[in-house]
Amino acid sequence: MSKLYIDEDRYGEAPPNLLVETVRSAVTTLVRRRFAESAVDWSAFVFGAGDRLITSQDFTDIERQILDTGYRFAWSAVISQRERPAIYGGADDVGADLANFSFEHPEAATGEPDSEGRSQCGFGENVVRRRTNAVGVARYVRSSDRVIEYMKNGVPEGTIAIIDDSGGTLTAPILEHFAGIVCAGGTVRSHLGILAREYGIPCLMNAKIRGIHDGDRIEIEASAESMAAEAYFGGEAKLARVWKVVR
Amino acid sequence: MRNPGVSYPQLLETNNRIQNCGDETFWLCLTRTVQGSKLFPVSPYILLSYLNAFYRYPSLLRKIEARLPAEQIADRARNMGMKMQNSALGWALPNFYLLGRELLLSLGMLRPQDALEDVVYVMDFWKRYMLSWHRNDGHITNREFGHRAQILPDRRLEVFHRDLYPCTPGDPLHAAAHAFLAMASQYGFLVSCESRISLTNSGPYRLDDHHELIVRDFMDLAECSLPWLDGVAADVPYNYLTVPMSVRDCHFTIVDDWGSFESKPEFTAEHLAGVGLYTSDPLTEGYMPVGMASRDELIGTLRSLHGVLKDATNKLWLRIAAWTRDQMLDAGALVYYNIIKDLAHVAGVFDVDDWLTIDRRADRFRPLLNDEFAGQMLGSLVAGLNLPNHRQSPYVMMQHSDQPTRTYTPLPYSVLCGEEYVPSCGPVQPGTSHLDLKVDRYRTSAGVLSLAEYNRRAREFTPALCTDKYRFLCETWVKYNHHTALANELYELEQRESRTLRGRGTTARPR
Repeated sequence: MSKLYIDEDRYGEAPPNLLVETVRSAVTTLVRRRFAESAVDWSAFVFGAGDRLITSQDFTDIERQILDTGYRFAWSAVISQRERPAIYGGADDVGADLANFSFEHPEAATGEPDSEGRSQCGFGENVVRRRTNAVGVARYVRSSDRVIEYMKNGVPEGTIAIIDDSGGTLTAPILEHFAGIVCAGGTVRSHLGILAREYGIPCLMNAKIRGIHDGDRIEIEASAESMAAEAYFGGEAKLARVWKVVR
Repeated sequence: MRNPGVSYPQLLETNNRIQNCGDETFWLCLTRTVQGSKLFPVSPYILLSYLNAFYRYPSLLRKIEARLPAEQIADRARNMGMKMQNSALGWALPNFYLLGRELLLSLGMLRPQDALEDVVYVMDFWKRYMLSWHRNDGHITNREFGHRAQILPDRRLEVFHRDLYPCTPGDPLHAAAHAFLAMASQYGFLVSCESRISLTNSGPYRLDDHHELIVRDFMDLAECSLPWLDGVAADVPYNYLTVPMSVRDCHFTIVDDWGSFESKPEFTAEHLAGVGLYTSDPLTEGYMPVGMASRDELIGTLRSLHGVLKDATNKLWLRIAAWTRDQMLDAGALVYYNIIKDLAHVAGVFDVDDWLTIDRRADRFRPLLNDEFAGQMLGSLVAGLNLPNHRQSPYVMMQHSDQPTRTYTPLPYSVLCGEEYVPSCGPVQPGTSHLDLKVDRYRTSAGVLSLAEYNRRAREFTPALCTDKYRFLCETWVKYNHHTALANELYELEQRESRTLRGRGTTARPR
């Protein structure tokens, strides 16, 4: 089998991510094989014979080799898991059984009910400091199914959306109707954080919460200090609290 | 021994640009964003777009320059609000290309010296464009200027400033502007498949001790060169909108090469103190006011646009929600890759096959682009820098990280002493798309045109301010020649559509 130019790398190390290295190794092996088969020099191969000989089928075969080991990929977009459930692991269907779902982040700070009848069930990074906290009813929005439901029937008044998607597109048609947002991912600079700021919607990003179910009355500490840029460079992070209102 | 088609100074300069791009990309990706999407397979489409950029940008930029040089296109960009600013030109053009190159290097499909003349050309095109676009602030990038972008000529700033309508929280204009800005931003994220490339900010410019001007552009709003807007955006009357904003008691500390900003205190609607609204495109004489004849007209226009964009958002979202993964992958990859397509619109050489298909050399990688691999590989390419090609000698301390790594592989100088290299990846090859074909309908300032007509008009049109008579009349010249008839003529041209300054010429001095 032919040697590749990059095979002699004085400083190179294999990447720490096993999947990246597995794919990278499989592709470089493929390139070596096809280069040898081509019987041309590299300059004729790289944008000539190689473009013809290294095919989509080759990459499909690499995917098959990985799946044949029993490995299943993690998914990030719902469409990926729904179209090809056989190649993706994790059966967490974000559209199903929201009535019984709750985020259960182990790092969420929780507490007993305080004098105002609120029990802390987590925290997050406040996007913009506001004069008052936001109080409303928690409703999970995790898939396009629920977005369509709210497009048809309207977003119930006082909804504080609990979202795990830090993007700005999933909730695009309904976002402006939220009374608050608790997002389990991203940072205050994520698209959802940017849009919450634009709309003036109280919003906590990168929230770690436990025990909040659809329909629970919650309060988010929108009056807390907002997350400063410095905090992302090792400064002290000021976190805003999330409470369940129990009475 | 092959006679190299590039010189030592060219390689030195190219490698300097590559290194600068790499350092800034690392900083931007590490500090400016954490994105995720349940709707779009974002990382897979980003990798696909990088590959398409690598295989196609060199040929397409040469095609554009055969009609109009980079520096002249940038002269146009300095006088309008199209998608030829940040992040499109300031960051994406070189970095999408270089990230595609780095990805292929990591897979053993390239050597550092392959496509060497392409790399030199792409980086040179970018440098010439940026020098021209940024000629008023004298930097190549916002990074070089300490993350600031003072692009506009003084005469345009005077018009933006004087024509602003003041507003305060609670008044109808403030409410209309606030609602419009939020809706247009939201629509932009959707149009761009969860990326921020449909909006950009430039500035700040000092208005007085308490006010700064920030200029926000919204791009690709109407039925134009993104096929998924066909039909759903039929009622959107402008493809590009520019909103100059006066901001009170808020200092913009960062305006980066992605067109996003940070300020102290944080910018919220309460700080919005004045607003204007303009449109522009390859067929306009620079910025044209929209609904600016009166305060009431502007309020009505902003409200109307809010409604139109809300309707388009709902229709577009329902269209996207019904897409297959391949359609989402293509739309995301294309909107990313064709982020520089407006160069072709201005040059009048836009071609659907060039900008709305995935080159078969890139498309073959599609089976590898599952969510997990793409996410991890993208992380390695832009932030982890842990692929073998990233690793450097242990003595190296990279900017921002002190690690022995480099975002991008430099071009090897050894080609100058005989090491063999391949100059180019070759011409654009046939491409594919799973999306509906683009309808031959392009919303422009001259109405809805066919592509052939749009290209023809763009080729035949040069805005007066960009003609040879005026384009070199720079701020230094105006400073010492403001009393001349020619300077007055230049200013009157800029003021033609101004409500407050029309006909004032250079007699109206900045406040």
